[in-house]
Amino acid sequence: MNMRSSSKVGAALSAAVLGLGLGLGLGLGLGSTPALADNIVMWVNAPLVPGPNAPIYEEIKAFEAKTGHTVELQAVPHMEMERNLFVALSGGAGPDVMALDIAWVAGLADAGLLADLTDKTKPIAAQYQPGPLASGRFQEKQYALPLYTNNVALFVNDRMLADAGIAKAPSNWKEFHDAAVAMTNKEKDTYGASFGGGRMGAFQLYSFIWQNGGEIIDEKGVPHVAEKPTVEAVDFLAKLYTQSQAMPKSVLTAGNWDEVHAPFIQERAGMVVTGDWALAALAKGNPNLKYSVHPLPVGVKPATVIGGYNLAAKAGSKSPDASFALIEWLTGPRSVELMRKYERLSAAASATTPEAIAALPKQLQPFMAQADAGRARPVVAPWSEIHASVFANAWDSVIRGKPAQAAMTEANTAIKGLLEKK
Amino acid sequence: MTARTLNAPGLRRTWSSIFETGLGARIYPYLMVLPAVIIVLGVVVYPVISGVVSSFYDVTLRTLNNGTVTFVGMRNFQRVFADPVFVKASVNTLIWVVLNVVAQLGLGLALALLLHRAMPGIGFFRSGILVPWVVPSVVAVLTWRWMYDPSVGIVNEMLMKLGIISDYHPWLGDTATSLYAVTVESIWKGTPFVMLLLLAALQLVPRSILEAASMDGASGWRKLWYVILPQIRVSFAIAAVLTFILTVNNFNAIWLMTEGGPLNSSEILFTLAYKYGFQRFDLGMASAVATMLFVGLVIATTLYLKLIQAREGD
Amino acid sequence: MSLATASRTMPAPRSEALRRTRTPKSLRKVLTYTTLWIAFIWAVFPFYWMIATSLRAKDEIFQRPPALVPHSVTFQNYIDLLVGAHFWQFALNSLILTVSVTLISVALSVTAGYAMARHRFKGSVALPLFMLYGQMFPPVLLLIPFYVQLRYLGWLDSLYGLIPVYLSYMLPLCVWLMRGFFAQVPHSLEDAARMDGCTRWQAFWKVILPMAQPGIVAVATWVMIHTWNEFLYASTFILSEKNRTLPLGLSGLIGQYTTDWGVLMAGGVITAAPILLAFFFLQKHLVQGVGGGAVKG
Repeated sequence: MNMRSSSKVGAALSAAVLGLGLGLGLGLGLGSTPALADNIVMWVNAPLVPGPNAPIYEEIKAFEAKTGHTVELQAVPHMEMERNLFVALSGGAGPDVMALDIAWVAGLADAGLLADLTDKTKPIAAQYQPGPLASGRFQEKQYALPLYTNNVALFVNDRMLADAGIAKAPSNWKEFHDAAVAMTNKEKDTYGASFGGGRMGAFQLYSFIWQNGGEIIDEKGVPHVAEKPTVEAVDFLAKLYTQSQAMPKSVLTAGNWDEVHAPFIQERAGMVVTGDWALAALAKGNPNLKYSVHPLPVGVKPATVIGGYNLAAKAGSKSPDASFALIEWLTGPRSVELMRKYERLSAAASATTPEAIAALPKQLQPFMAQADAGRARPVVAPWSEIHASVFANAWDSVIRGKPAQAAMTEANTAIKGLLEKK
Repeated sequence: MTARTLNAPGLRRTWSSIFETGLGARIYPYLMVLPAVIIVLGVVVYPVISGVVSSFYDVTLRTLNNGTVTFVGMRNFQRVFADPVFVKASVNTLIWVVLNVVAQLGLGLALALLLHRAMPGIGFFRSGILVPWVVPSVVAVLTWRWMYDPSVGIVNEMLMKLGIISDYHPWLGDTATSLYAVTVESIWKGTPFVMLLLLAALQLVPRSILEAASMDGASGWRKLWYVILPQIRVSFAIAAVLTFILTVNNFNAIWLMTEGGPLNSSEILFTLAYKYGFQRFDLGMASAVATMLFVGLVIATTLYLKLIQAREGD
Repeated sequence: MSLATASRTMPAPRSEALRRTRTPKSLRKVLTYTTLWIAFIWAVFPFYWMIATSLRAKDEIFQRPPALVPHSVTFQNYIDLLVGAHFWQFALNSLILTVSVTLISVALSVTAGYAMARHRFKGSVALPLFMLYGQMFPPVLLLIPFYVQLRYLGWLDSLYGLIPVYLSYMLPLCVWLMRGFFAQVPHSLEDAARMDGCTRWQAFWKVILPMAQPGIVAVATWVMIHTWNEFLYASTFILSEKNRTLPLGLSGLIGQYTTDWGVLMAGGVITAAPILLAFFFLQKHLVQGVGGGAVKG
């Protein structure tokens, strides 16, 4: 009988039983939240926490010192955040306080997952810019307060524009089209404008639809995406790729901002339609890039899509007051300073004073300059799905050669279906 | 410790003596099987039944929260059939499965035959060729996604150097190529496992049979077809069934490379069910697709195994 | 199939067979090695490319055309990855989960596999087959009931909630494989131990178990690898950053704003390293175990 190896196995198995308990115990310890009422779990989108020295940590330390609450900050990748919030909150788990892309508020509020903050926010409503504040509202109730706001502008590579023999950045559709074509050079592998596919492209598209006098979903909840102005806008942008080949092929695949920015960073695309989040990415990707930021080219009228993040609280949180205190702390007047550190635009009312605007980095000023032309995306519960599947698919099929009218007619029917279902 | 005295000749007195006679002896095997069986009942049997059942119910986040889950008969299935994406995903699943199974079995067999020979350095090649099987699938998929990159991907660069393409191509972004680009990764990842199974089987084939066949004048294809393949028929069948099951259930490759896109061009039934379930949160519809997938798997596997048995009986 | 039937079913025309054998030996050798090298490069290249990317400087990663060999080697990507505390947390989570699932699977499948191989009882024939079929249930079918259950128990977004979920696709095959190993241990050994005065349990514990050690190692490795690599369930049920496992942490590096492929590939190398090491140390056991167990069954 081989006693040595048998005792080895015996030891291994008893270690197994011990380890089992240990593993479970550790698992329990890691998975459950301590019973302290004032520990607030907060989820923010990953770009706000690029590293251990992110400015938000300092702000949270100040909050902890002032109130005695503790905050557990967790960064969630943007792409998974909406789904994870749905799954977690509807299962009774999830954070007490969360950062929300403004386009998600309606869906989560409609599902009853967000705390109604209407009464608490009434006295402080004047602290916020009215547009961004409205993005936290759904069916007459305030569910979220704005942390930062943004819109999209036109980024232009100065050298490529000059090389193409154009003196100034395009300010209307015709100039935009001509500049894009002029900067396209098949041999040198350069293109006029970098654009995204799917959801990315759809997001870039909305501004152009509104510029052309089009409408996506009106106040009464009726979709208008098969109408002439909308179809024209889709057609105009898609033809830059399908006919003029003034967009790099990445338009077919670019599924995140990085991939949209890449050709611009590599100086293979002369223009890109993006927001203030691009500033950090460009600085990191190509510090020597000479570019300038301009308001979006104007169509029938100027328009740009409002984006940004709100802060909201979980419905049924164990510490509703501490949660709200944290939201108020981060979004209030202090956010002007905090967001400046991120090179982002605060949504506080005090951020629009001339002094505050003057204090902004130069590249952020064009965004403020066109803020009046900002439009919010439709606040309807199934918006995320309309955006991510209907619009993304419509854009994807048009850049692959489907006639814009046909694609948008189908999209209109699909949107109607989604709106009726709810 | 519940020490029992038992005076059977030669038996040491220990607590485990209770399993030597009578009731103890009879329940002993059951006791040893029981924990595993209970867990399997709880985490496999019950969920499977529950999954099939929920395809007939209106399960969404909303109904779960309100406690208003109701029986809706075949409605989930009707809604699935009415979705044009379902048809697309079914066709894609078929292409995906056929390409993967045929290529993995073919290449796996070829590699097994090559590596079966006793040659200097064969261990080195064997280890190297097993690498795709060992690399974690998420890591492998993300690496391939990076290699397929439309602007700086090495795949594009190599194909261009070889003169196969004249310009960089967005392999994952083109609706005409996305499914096939993912298939290449999946074949790369899955073939070594088939090779491993067949190699193990080849090693059980008595050398005398091979030698006798060679002496008989058989060589190359004939030896393969008439001598080797019949010998490893059972393993080949097992490899085929496993590859089939693993391919149908291969979620990572498609999800992490294309998410079924663009325009559902690489959507398979698995990813479609996942989207119904965890993007739209229509868990009833997701269950309906999953149930169909499950029934399809069982039917296909059973038919295939029956076929093998029938041929074995000849 | 016997040799007799083999040659009977083989109407080999001699002339062709002779022509075939005339291919020069040296040429065949060259052809074989060439094919082996092609297969080898095909198999290993993506792995090489991952390592090469992880060692490149940031500006070289997006260089076009990409160079096969990095111009210069830097560990900056690894430093960037590991300085943020998260990646360590992911690794720890993966480790806890892997150890727990492996220990439970091995403990349960050892006894069950043994009983199925050695004892006749009601279901001793049907159960193992059922275990094999248990592997066939598509995870997507189990996903929804699991979600409903975990949600009901409040175990969503927890590591311990994943343990039963992982057992669902580990345990059945483990039992099946273990049964195969025990079936290969000769009966006579156990009988001898019993004659020696051991109880059934002692015989199992002191004689059979050590004999089945290679099988246990194979099964344990198999479970470890699969748990370490699992993505679908983790990505569905793990929601917050601190509970992420390594594969989930990796996929999370594909961001909205930036995908840092250098860091991502460095993460890939670190995630794959333990598995590769385990594989090359245990290659013999594993190859025999998985190959042999499934084939002999």
